[in-house]
Amino acid sequence: MQITIDGQAFDAQPGETILEVARRNGVWIPTLCHHAALEPYAACRICVVEIDRGRWWQVVTACNYPIRGDLTVQVNSRRARRDREGVMQLLLARCPESPELRQLAARMGVAATPYPKVTEAQRNCILCGLCVRVCEEKIGASAIALVGRGVERSVAAPFRMASEDCIGCGACAAVCPIGTIVVRTHEQEVEISPFKTRVRLRRCAACDQPLGSELVNEVLSRRRGPTVIQILTNEQLCPRCKRAELARQLTAAAPNDGSGRLAPDGITIRRP
Amino acid sequence: MSTVATKLQSPQDLQRYREQVLARRDPAARAVRVCLGTGCTAKGSQQILDRFRQAAAQFGQEGMAVQTKCTGCHGFCERGPIVVVDPGNVFYPGVKEEDVPEIWRETVIGGRVVERLLYRDDETGRAARTHNEIPFYTAQHRIVLALNGVIDPTSIADYLGAGGYAAVAKALHSMTPEQVIEEVTRSGLRGRGGGGFPTGRKWRSAREARGEPKYTIANGDEGDPGAFMDRSLMEGCPHSVIEGMVIGAYAVGSSHGYMYVRNEYPLAVKHLRIAIEQARELGLLGEDILGSGFSFDIRINRGAGAFVCGESTALMASLEGRVGEPRAKYIHTVESGLNGKPSLLNNVETWANVPPIILKGAQWFASLGTEKSKGTKVFSLVGKVKNTGLVEVPMGMTLRQIIDGIGGGVPNGKAFKAVQTGGPSGGCIPAEHLDEPVDFDRLTELGSMMGSGGMIVMDEDTCMVSVARYFLQFLKEESCGKCTPCREGIAQMLDVLGRITRGQGRPGDLECLETLGELLEDTALCALGKTAAYPVLSTVRRFREEYEAHIREKRCPAKVCPGLFRYAIDAEACKGCGLCAKRCPAGAISGERKRPHVIDQVKCINCGACFEACPFSGVVKV
Repeated sequence: MQITIDGQAFDAQPGETILEVARRNGVWIPTLCHHAALEPYAACRICVVEIDRGRWWQVVTACNYPIRGDLTVQVNSRRARRDREGVMQLLLARCPESPELRQLAARMGVAATPYPKVTEAQRNCILCGLCVRVCEEKIGASAIALVGRGVERSVAAPFRMASEDCIGCGACAAVCPIGTIVVRTHEQEVEISPFKTRVRLRRCAACDQPLGSELVNEVLSRRRGPTVIQILTNEQLCPRCKRAELARQLTAAAPNDGSGRLAPDGITIRRP
Repeated sequence: MSTVATKLQSPQDLQRYREQVLARRDPAARAVRVCLGTGCTAKGSQQILDRFRQAAAQFGQEGMAVQTKCTGCHGFCERGPIVVVDPGNVFYPGVKEEDVPEIWRETVIGGRVVERLLYRDDETGRAARTHNEIPFYTAQHRIVLALNGVIDPTSIADYLGAGGYAAVAKALHSMTPEQVIEEVTRSGLRGRGGGGFPTGRKWRSAREARGEPKYTIANGDEGDPGAFMDRSLMEGCPHSVIEGMVIGAYAVGSSHGYMYVRNEYPLAVKHLRIAIEQARELGLLGEDILGSGFSFDIRINRGAGAFVCGESTALMASLEGRVGEPRAKYIHTVESGLNGKPSLLNNVETWANVPPIILKGAQWFASLGTEKSKGTKVFSLVGKVKNTGLVEVPMGMTLRQIIDGIGGGVPNGKAFKAVQTGGPSGGCIPAEHLDEPVDFDRLTELGSMMGSGGMIVMDEDTCMVSVARYFLQFLKEESCGKCTPCREGIAQMLDVLGRITRGQGRPGDLECLETLGELLEDTALCALGKTAAYPVLSTVRRFREEYEAHIREKRCPAKVCPGLFRYAIDAEACKGCGLCAKRCPAGAISGERKRPHVIDQVKCINCGACFEACPFSGVVKV
């Protein structure tokens, strides 16, 4: 089926979203609460576009509008731009201190917000829910959740205490679009801020370099079963030391006999 | 009656059961019906019923039978508690516990009417013997409320005696699902929960949707301030909702039903629970209903009282045990709703309209109402109106007929200012549109909406800016906070409105409100956010001069917003008692005893203590 975006026609598969087709074809639509690895959530509303409904144009979110037939979309119509800018102004009023947000605003042509700061149940957070969703959907820990309602909404671990379920993986920090969640490495612990969670730090057995949360290793290996990765990661080495160690083992135990088999650990090296 | 627990196996069984119920009834029997709706119960109707029951028990020992029963809401809540005595259908409003012996002696036993307790028309002074003589009732047309106040909601026999479940028998045994859908479609019934979506079309989509099982859901999460239509229906005639659901489930091929009721409606939950239990016992719910081979059962789910859970996708999320937050409806819930399965969700009142449509036919229903809005609508008429209560009128009746005719107009000689329809997301309609007919489309054109049927009347003492702020405050508290425009936009609008009512309005504020309102309408995720700005937009549009008086002149024309009007003493009314001066915390009032006092406007802090204190209405707002 065909989707026309701002006059340009593109091919699309049924079930694809407007955003997916736009991205594939280099049409820029700003997003905040969207992440390709996660289910669409459509909460931030920064990706709204207009679609042709025959007698009228409807404003929809590009990130989760499913294509079920031929579709005409306006990304840069006056109304779509005005709506996206309006949403951005509201977000800027909420999180004026985020450089990431200001950068996106600038790219959208929004210089400043006319609104005062009136909501701040959680500092510098646009409540896009990416951290909560990655923790649930991908990590399987569900250590944090969106709590409270309306302007009181915030992201927190139960009772706003340090979470017992957090494995300290830092996925929440990695997906946060405005840099609010931070992983701090202390002497013996990894801290996920602002959730107050601290988990034990793993260090490289060889060079003592900090390697992140100890629990991540445990949990991931438990979930994946014994694999090459486990064999390699169980060494408690940093990538650099691991490479060095692997190279040492390979050259010492199995001179290249051309078979592609490696004797000691049964590791297969695939030749190009 | 044979054994109650015997299941009815066929329409003939149902008919026989009904005849048995009716045969046991003596048309000349004495009966006392006491309203146990929420309003009347709050005014002590349970004690009244208890008194009647005591009297009946005593009387029973003497070999005479008097039936005493509780009923659901009669709608005339303003004049509760309501007691009706048969034979004669004698209607007593505003009964007090001490009136019980007299009613018992005179009416129940003696068959005479107690004149002093009858309803008396304010204007004509005429007494009304039955409800049919009361203007509040004469202009109404009751379809879904027909049995409210007549039957005992906890008795399925009462409902069956009144013809209940005949529509289920008819649909299941003499109609195909297609025919049922066709009938509902032709009736022109539209969703009574607010959207006004054609019910027949929704049913057809649900029937055509693929997926098993299909769910049938009743939305009883009524949360609008001042609205209690669905509540009264679930409390007063729960079987009509169940009956509608059985028919709908049969039409779309669904076996699982859910009744989503807010937990703040304990009586509704109780009555529904009893009704479902009774229907199961008689085989009107469960396996093989009336021997038709069709099976369907209903579970009650209690909502925790979040307004947003009245939104279909949030309701379904809540049913799934997740947080009640809406999601996008680009794929409709009839295709993918509860647990990702096809789900047919209708409002309680919509369901209750189904049995009469099946029984009396689409044509009969379509003959009521306007071109595009058929049938009747129940409104909860509240606010500054004499007869507050529940009214059911044909679509197309004018606002004036409802407010002045049925509602008795604005009390205390005040002037009508506006009526707010459609709940917190509705708009305010001013006096010049009072002669407009009430239907889905006309109300939308007027910048308001039908909503679930709330109707709040406001008089000249109402400040429209404060009204808008009130509704927005409600929505701010009820917004789930998921999407940016609703969470941040409402808070921003409220900030502006707060400033305006404090006298800190600025030029450009109205434009700011309009910009934000349009943004919400365009970009919010669900209907709560999309319509949240309506109270503001409609009041800005209709009462712009009132907003401007607040902003430019720092004056509240309705004299509601503290600080935007002044208090003064009316020298003619003032008796010089000195009470105001005594109460004034700022020492701003002075004067000799028995001489008119004066407020020093420089010292006055506008607290209103003098206004409250004066027994002679000598302190006035200017």
